[in-house]
Amino acid sequence: MTFLSLPFLCFFPVTALGYFLLPRKARNVWLLLASWFFYLCAKTVYLTLLLFVILTSYGAGIALGREKKRPVLVLCLLTDVVLLFLFKYVNFALSLAAGVLRGVGVSWNAPVLDIVLPVGISFYLFQAMGYVIDVWRGRTEAQRSFLLHALFLSFFPQVVSGPIGRAEELTPQFREPHPFNWDRFRQGLLRFLWGAFKKMVLADRLAVLVNTVFGAPESYGAVQVMGAAVAFSFQIYCDFSSYTDMALGVADSMGFTLRENFDTPYFSRSIAEFWRRWHMSLSTWFRDYLYIPLGGSRRGTARKYLNVLIVFALSGLWHGAAMTFVVWGVLNGLYQVAGAVTAPLRAGGYRLLRIREDGPFRHGVQVLITFLLTTVAWVFFKASSLSNAFDVLGGMFRGPLWVRLSMGLDRWELLAAAAGLLLLLVVDLLSCLHNLRKAYLKQPRLVRWCVLWALLLGCLIFGSYGAGYDAQAFMYGFSF
Amino acid sequence: MKRLRKGKKCFFVLLFLLLTAVLVNFVSDVLRPAQVTYGSTWSAFRAEPKDSLDVIYLGSSFAYCDINPSLVYDASGLTGYVMAGGEQPLSITYWYLKEIFRTQSPSAVVLEGTSLYFKRYQNYTQQNVSQMPFSANKLGAIFTAAEPELRTGLLFDLSLYHGRWQEVGRSDLKKAVIPIRKDHYKGYTPVEGVLEGVGQTPSEQGRVVSEEDYAASLEWLDKILDLCREHGAQPIVTFNPSYTRCTKEQYGRNAADILALDSGVLVYNWTDSFEEMGLIPTEHLYDGGHLNREGATVFSAWLGRFLTDEVGLVPRAQTAENAAAWEESAAWWREQNGN
Repeated sequence: MTFLSLPFLCFFPVTALGYFLLPRKARNVWLLLASWFFYLCAKTVYLTLLLFVILTSYGAGIALGREKKRPVLVLCLLTDVVLLFLFKYVNFALSLAAGVLRGVGVSWNAPVLDIVLPVGISFYLFQAMGYVIDVWRGRTEAQRSFLLHALFLSFFPQVVSGPIGRAEELTPQFREPHPFNWDRFRQGLLRFLWGAFKKMVLADRLAVLVNTVFGAPESYGAVQVMGAAVAFSFQIYCDFSSYTDMALGVADSMGFTLRENFDTPYFSRSIAEFWRRWHMSLSTWFRDYLYIPLGGSRRGTARKYLNVLIVFALSGLWHGAAMTFVVWGVLNGLYQVAGAVTAPLRAGGYRLLRIREDGPFRHGVQVLITFLLTTVAWVFFKASSLSNAFDVLGGMFRGPLWVRLSMGLDRWELLAAAAGLLLLLVVDLLSCLHNLRKAYLKQPRLVRWCVLWALLLGCLIFGSYGAGYDAQAFMYGFSF
Repeated sequence: MKRLRKGKKCFFVLLFLLLTAVLVNFVSDVLRPAQVTYGSTWSAFRAEPKDSLDVIYLGSSFAYCDINPSLVYDASGLTGYVMAGGEQPLSITYWYLKEIFRTQSPSAVVLEGTSLYFKRYQNYTQQNVSQMPFSANKLGAIFTAAEPELRTGLLFDLSLYHGRWQEVGRSDLKKAVIPIRKDHYKGYTPVEGVLEGVGQTPSEQGRVVSEEDYAASLEWLDKILDLCREHGAQPIVTFNPSYTRCTKEQYGRNAADILALDSGVLVYNWTDSFEEMGLIPTEHLYDGGHLNREGATVFSAWLGRFLTDEVGLVPRAQTAENAAAWEESAAWWREQNGN
């Protein structure tokens, strides 16, 4: 069951209605049962693993709350890491081992184990690990209520694809009464619809073009390959941020506030800033639970750069068990290191050219360069293999500029995508200046209705769904 | 005061939902492709005056290619309409007939019997069901006669047709604003010419249907016959002139099975009655199974006379306006056919 499926459109009203109508004491039980039902719809066996993680982190939290014993912390974290390794990385590790053995002259064919990746495992395991570490650090109280802890890890808007929550932010909300709030409900609905629009109209439409060109980069001209790479930058932003918008919208309509995950990341002026504005719940997780424990910037410049590279390599690996993701992560780390090393040089250059630090020109150039750098990195994220990634990158600089070959979208489809992207740009620009959801509530009724109708009809008419369309699964949905 | 505010809020929520439903329905009407030929012509059918039709012709393409109701009228004065669908199984035909009986009270229902040889699901369920007007009968067709994977789309057919946004024109908007428009086709679809080699030798290789599908079709036929009885319409099952025939044994079994369901059904096997009707296979067949426009002209006139002379159907009284409309249709077809 995904947010954009008929079952969810039946599930959510029933869940929300039940939540608001039930007596306060029964509400959390209802929410937990609904969340588990939502998760069960993915596959029955997955719930067993989720329950196991809930039980182990709950037990570890209680034990660490009583006495801060390091072995308890280590055992719990190790269990989570082993689970993640077994379900997500074992085949990758075996293939790497086979490669290494081949390198030293030993011939060994790595077996491919038939392991199904449990939905959302990377998200809820990180959330559980964060909780246990926070209890160890004394940053959060050990949760004594199993119900609240289970809800913290299973809450249906975020269990599949995050945002990765923190116990001190989310758990107290389950203790609050949450009466029906008309304004929050409307804001949530608007956010959900905006997310649906980004996914159905933009992400899935761009996916057709991107998949076509990335599938055979050698058949296309340089401009087309560059276009596909840029299109992927927008596709992944629309895809993942749409999920976040829908998750936050659903939670908001029920009175819950989840962590923000995106803050107009493509307006960033540096890669470091980009990572403060992209998938923020994961970036802050890595900062708090890996970068800082590694020493952060406290142990000298060289160590700081090494820490950045380690964090980004692991972040890449978190996104997928393949070398392409590792390269993508390391590349982002290198960008940051290079950015920090060359910062004085670049500042000097700008001074020499008399370009003001906060002037629009410098701002624009920095945003453009950051976008281009992330676009190059995304090529590795999207590519099916390293050789495919190099084919795509090579295709940008050789061969003809344009080849008369279909890129999967006709003129009208491209026009629809361009119009949608223009709207996205306007909304993102406006969101930097105003709180758009609050501004929406202040509009006259007819304007509010027209906005909702425009988004709804936009999805229903121009969206990729139903006959003749290949609606894509959420990128961060079922493979993380 | 608080209660008043709540009431006002509820009113606007309901109004918003209602307007949203109207808007979505309108968009669906715009984007749904118009169906004026090749069966399932519900839009034009609904323009026929209530209780004005003498005969309803049901079945598949063998009905909508062979029978031109305007020319049946020209020969006999019997008004009628072809409400068939491409490769339409009897399950959908049943729901068609139920829907038809809501507005019409025909004296006879003529069903082309080749449908007995169709599988449970054929190729055109989407087209045949989505064109039905929204009603309990459409829901019945969706849930009992459509493939499970098509049901969601048929319930919300914007998901089937929204990709047409690129080709929407003024005529689509017009169709959504004025959905019901009468035409001269009356459900008939003319096909032109004769395919190469057609009409030389009839093929009697028979049609293949599993026992399970055949039994299911008979069950739906039984329901159709019940409906006819309930509404006082004479059921007539025909096998139209064809050069791709079943064997005599198959037709014999069909007739026996149909009569076992209801001995009052009139069953006619006209598959090799070309000469008697004045049809020339090499000139009047489009392909082995369907008559071309000239063939349908000959057959329809013959059918009109047969229904009045042999079956004893009597044309009902029509309003002057409707009689004039039928005369106009017949004249239009005569002109089209160059007579």
